[in-house]
Amino acid sequence: MAHPQIAAFARLADGNAKPVRKIEGQTTLLGRTMHSIAYDEIHDEFVVPQQFAQAILTFRGGADGEEAPVRLIQGPLTQLRNPDRLAIDPVHNEIFVPQGNSVLVFAREAAGNVAPIRVLKGPDTGLGASALAVDPVHNLLVVGGRSDGISRLLIFNRTDQGNVKPKAAIGGPKSGLAHISGPFVVYPPKNEIIVSVRGSSSESNEMATDDCFVGVWSTEDSGDVPPRWTIGGPKGVLRMVRGVDLDPKNKSVIVTDKRLNAVLTFYFPELF
Amino acid sequence: MSHRLRRAHVVVLLTGAAVIAGWVLVAQNGKRPEGATAPRKQTGSPQLVSYEPLPTEAMDDENCQWVVAGQALAAAPPQAGFPDGAPARPAEGSAFPDPSGKKPVRMIRDSYASYSSVAVDPINNEVILTDENLFNVLAFNRLENSPATAISQPKRVIGGLKTKIEFQSGLYLDPKNGDIYAVNNDTVDTLVIFSRNANGDAPPDRQLHTPHGTFGIAVDEEHQELLLTVQHDSAVVTFPKTAKSEDPPIRLLQGEHTLLADPHGIALDAKDDLIFVINHGSVHQVRPGGEDRQRTWGGGQGKPNWPLGFGNAIPGSGKNLPPSITIYPRAASGDAAPLRVIQGPKTEMNWPTGIAFDARTNEIFVANDMGDSILVFNAAANGDAAPRRVLKGPKSLIKNPTGVFVDPKNDELWVANFGNHTAAAYKLSASGDTAPLRVIRSAPPDKPTLSIGNPHPVAYDGKREQILVPN
Repeated sequence: MAHPQIAAFARLADGNAKPVRKIEGQTTLLGRTMHSIAYDEIHDEFVVPQQFAQAILTFRGGADGEEAPVRLIQGPLTQLRNPDRLAIDPVHNEIFVPQGNSVLVFAREAAGNVAPIRVLKGPDTGLGASALAVDPVHNLLVVGGRSDGISRLLIFNRTDQGNVKPKAAIGGPKSGLAHISGPFVVYPPKNEIIVSVRGSSSESNEMATDDCFVGVWSTEDSGDVPPRWTIGGPKGVLRMVRGVDLDPKNKSVIVTDKRLNAVLTFYFPELF
Repeated sequence: MSHRLRRAHVVVLLTGAAVIAGWVLVAQNGKRPEGATAPRKQTGSPQLVSYEPLPTEAMDDENCQWVVAGQALAAAPPQAGFPDGAPARPAEGSAFPDPSGKKPVRMIRDSYASYSSVAVDPINNEVILTDENLFNVLAFNRLENSPATAISQPKRVIGGLKTKIEFQSGLYLDPKNGDIYAVNNDTVDTLVIFSRNANGDAPPDRQLHTPHGTFGIAVDEEHQELLLTVQHDSAVVTFPKTAKSEDPPIRLLQGEHTLLADPHGIALDAKDDLIFVINHGSVHQVRPGGEDRQRTWGGGQGKPNWPLGFGNAIPGSGKNLPPSITIYPRAASGDAAPLRVIQGPKTEMNWPTGIAFDARTNEIFVANDMGDSILVFNAAANGDAAPRRVLKGPKSLIKNPTGVFVDPKNDELWVANFGNHTAAAYKLSASGDTAPLRVIRSAPPDKPTLSIGNPHPVAYDGKREQILVPN
């Protein structure tokens, strides 16, 4: 797209609401293709990947305008190849980066040319990692992605490293996990995994699909399990769902949609 | 803070944030009383249903009215609408039925066009604009000039799922027949070409599979070639101008010595056989390799001259360079170094995005997105060169310009302002805070421009009660 930015909107913003602030410009080091963002409420920071420059950028929570990141992970020791998504564990102070057949884990406060503190990788992992989320309460790492042509959610122990088998895998035709669409989240108090699902991955529905939805699974699920709840498809409000995050205080699910080019908030008390 | 304390902290934080009332596990049954909320989608397993009554006082999500998208659309101005065309989702014939029973309580969305690139058809006296917000290509009378109280009406609008138009970032008009070449910067990896009179949700007359992340386009009419910049792979690919479908590129410019770094706009100097490429500055290096699957996002398998993608990226080689204009021979290929590089603080470049060349004055015009300016350089400049002149200021209306076009026939400069719902024409010699000659507007001036583009992730900042939306 023509203009990279991170726009911040008030929680109750609606329609043509003006952003409260924007982070943008050369000094920010941002690039387009920001396919992930994680806000750390404990340390009041947010973190984004920078795919082209193979970097992880951390900004102060109130960053505004053309503001530089407070920390930058970048360099040959990092093993970063195409950091596309990430998750933060603010409790154990770690940043997780999925990278295809591996997951790199960095110290949250790492800066500069630093090596990951753990790497989850190997044939037993079954990884085709494209997105992930961390449950710091139950010490779980949920990795989403596609491997051997199958989209799945793989559940590992948070501290797993090396060639470790997942504790459980969710996927299969009944699950509807045809194509995990974007970054997803977990909600530890209810053991929930909230995932945006694109529908099938054929070119014809790259622009929009009637099948896309947001589905909710449990971290205690395993196998070909259908979602416990859904928002969207078939033929629902969502046209090409992307990311999802939660506002637990207001019992809301926030969803982005590429085709609508919009951010939608759903009141979803059942979830919380 | 000890590990146990930290753990306790997060448990309190997370559970405290969730207001959990009475939950009952029930199995969903079939019929519902008339007027009741639509049933939740049958998913084949027991589901939780809340018996918690909606609060009646606190100004909270729970108090918000359901948004009826069809009503909102009906009240929208002429150019507003959804990307699939107005009215919303005509193919389905209804506005946002959602079988899950969930409707959004709020939808943040700019309902007006945001212009990203511009080109002029001097023969037919039209100006063509790409809209990256509502996913259209629009044709206006070149002399259209709307006051701040009016919204400009296009003569034609190409948009809809059949058109494959989404994030069109680059634009070229064939000077002979008016064919429209619109570059898709994301999603469908397709250059779409429409005949001049295309209108509505029409399939492209011709389409070409391109690498992922193409942005700028330049066409060399003498050699019948089209050149595209590729952001993700920091490359320039050249195709025959008549290429279609799965035709491969005939040249590739990519590599460490090229100094290409997140390239955006590209301009051709046909007289001196040069190309000018604008770079934002983010780059990583790639290692030559032979595995087709290692093209970015899997595209281009088996094709010669397709850029090497992330599979061939050298881990940890990424860096952020200052923005630049790199200049090459038109036919440069391989890992060729630029002839010259314009780069440095005197250039005033800050996310420079669009570029155009004026052969008569030997000047290059740069749409300097974050500088809210048009920078005009001597095309022979080198190094840390200051612009000859700068068009900028509140009277100029220039805000986050991403597209720029030189119209030598009418001695005009056109600017697509992504940041304020306008495109505007100036004298080519304009500088300083000069008001435009004419303005095309897609929205009332008091409507904020959201500049959302392919919102992929989202994060909620609970401390500030704000929603963070990257493009």
